[in-house]
Amino acid sequence: MNQLSREEYSQSQKMMIFILAMSLFGLANLFTELLPEFVLGPVEISVSYLAFIPLSLVMLFHPLYAAVGASVGEIIFGDLLLGDFGGLGELEGFIEFTLAMYIAGLLVTNLRSKKQVGIAAIVGIGIDQMLSTIVDVGKVWVGIEEVEAVPGLPESILAIEGLSFVTEMIISGVIFGLIPTLYLIPRLYGKIEPLLGIKPREGRVKASMTEWMSVRFVILAIFLTFMGMVAEFMAEMDINFAVWEPEFLEQFGDGFIWLPISAAAIVFIVAVFTAIKWLGASSNQDKKGKSA
Amino acid sequence: MELVNRFKKTYNLEWVKLELLKTAFGKKDSYMGRKDPRLVMVWYFIVSLLPWFTFNQTILIGLLVYTIVTSLVSRVSPLIIGLLTIGVISEIIYIVALVYLFGGEWAAFSSLITFTMKITIMSIASIAAFASMDPEKLSDALLSFGVPAQFSFAVSYGYRMLPILLDEYQQIILSFRLRGKAPTNGGVLKWRTIYYYSKIVVKAFYPMMLNTAKKTRTTVEALEVKGFSYSLHDKEAKKQKLSHLKLSNQDYTFLVMSIGILLAIYFLGKYYPI
Repeated sequence: MNQLSREEYSQSQKMMIFILAMSLFGLANLFTELLPEFVLGPVEISVSYLAFIPLSLVMLFHPLYAAVGASVGEIIFGDLLLGDFGGLGELEGFIEFTLAMYIAGLLVTNLRSKKQVGIAAIVGIGIDQMLSTIVDVGKVWVGIEEVEAVPGLPESILAIEGLSFVTEMIISGVIFGLIPTLYLIPRLYGKIEPLLGIKPREGRVKASMTEWMSVRFVILAIFLTFMGMVAEFMAEMDINFAVWEPEFLEQFGDGFIWLPISAAAIVFIVAVFTAIKWLGASSNQDKKGKSA
Repeated sequence: MELVNRFKKTYNLEWVKLELLKTAFGKKDSYMGRKDPRLVMVWYFIVSLLPWFTFNQTILIGLLVYTIVTSLVSRVSPLIIGLLTIGVISEIIYIVALVYLFGGEWAAFSSLITFTMKITIMSIASIAAFASMDPEKLSDALLSFGVPAQFSFAVSYGYRMLPILLDEYQQIILSFRLRGKAPTNGGVLKWRTIYYYSKIVVKAFYPMMLNTAKKTRTTVEALEVKGFSYSLHDKEAKKQKLSHLKLSNQDYTFLVMSIGILLAIYFLGKYYPI
């Protein structure tokens, strides 16, 4: 890595992509945060995000930095600046969304192909919605103790979640995701990159497959996703314990509940530390590569 | 339709902009806002995790009252309180409807209520802790807990750029509206009007993206001139940035008081369980 080839991104270009994605998606989030929702029975019709912004950025630039930037923008503009910072709950959304957008960006090899862009856009939103649906169903499953006991309840929950998945896919996925992305990508491609001093992307960025999709990264991503779900489930675990195994509880006392929760907490902390260490290591590498 | 008219009246862009600026830049001199942000952060984690270790409804009610009082003391903006109230009420209605529909007994209802209470405590705690806190203070606290420095930079950047970005977006939308023509006949459910505005909202992002890209480059170049990406990884720079975080007497009082109140709630729950 003695000289920067043109396909590689320098430290400041990564920073530019990060800031660009952050400001744009943040702004869009401010906007959607204030749009009203129309609730029809259990189904709500709302624009949950303007997905075309992160989608097109992720396709035009380095997917990882654009995806992380967009998620950070959502947290900062949509929540933190509005005084609506959710603390622990933000973590789940951050992981889901970053992962989904990153994958969407990796899928595209040819930005001129409408088919590819369209598929990537739909897959990206699909992954995000699917992950959140799984977490939601899991939450209800674990959170309400008598799901099986009440006739018809499991079916109705599945129906409600499925319906909201479909409406989300139509509104956020197609109307504010797919169609605007197909409109914007041909217009922005080759125009926005020079403004950041970046060569327009052709194919996958060179030497990227091994760099981005390293085994370590995939494992870390899956692990973090899993931890996001555990963190979510951890929250609901207690009711399930209280109702399913009351004798068990009496035998061991309330203290027993600490066991799974602290175990989950320990695993979680280890995961976070690994992630921070890994991020630190990779950024050091970047620095070395740049200064060398 | 009446709903759409109301929507158009209240949700014009100027109103949205003012409301946002008010929330983001409002006076942060509140009870929680004056505390050391690290302490507030720890307080939030403890208060939002505590409910998950108990099934005692007295303790939960105590915690709920405690967090509500704290959020009232720190004068949270009514917009946020309103949003939360709507959320909680719809959650309760949803629960009652579910239980009623499936002919559930009181036990199911009660455990659902317990569940809702836990979730509510968590969100009120986050509101009490973070709503009235200066975002930059919060990001400093996160930085001292080891969150990457990029995040705290992003907060400072967002905090300063928000009005500029909003202004620019509004300008673009207004010029689109000047050049376009809103449909006179809205059609069924005003779908033509909705379609028209949605299209503008999306299209306005095209010039917005290009402008922001230009601005971003200027910003990053200016930052790099000052050695920004080196300072991100420099321990000395971080130490200097965080040197203003100090625990004061006020913080100690808060610490002792919170521990006292939490213990009192737990004793109350132990001796007078519902």
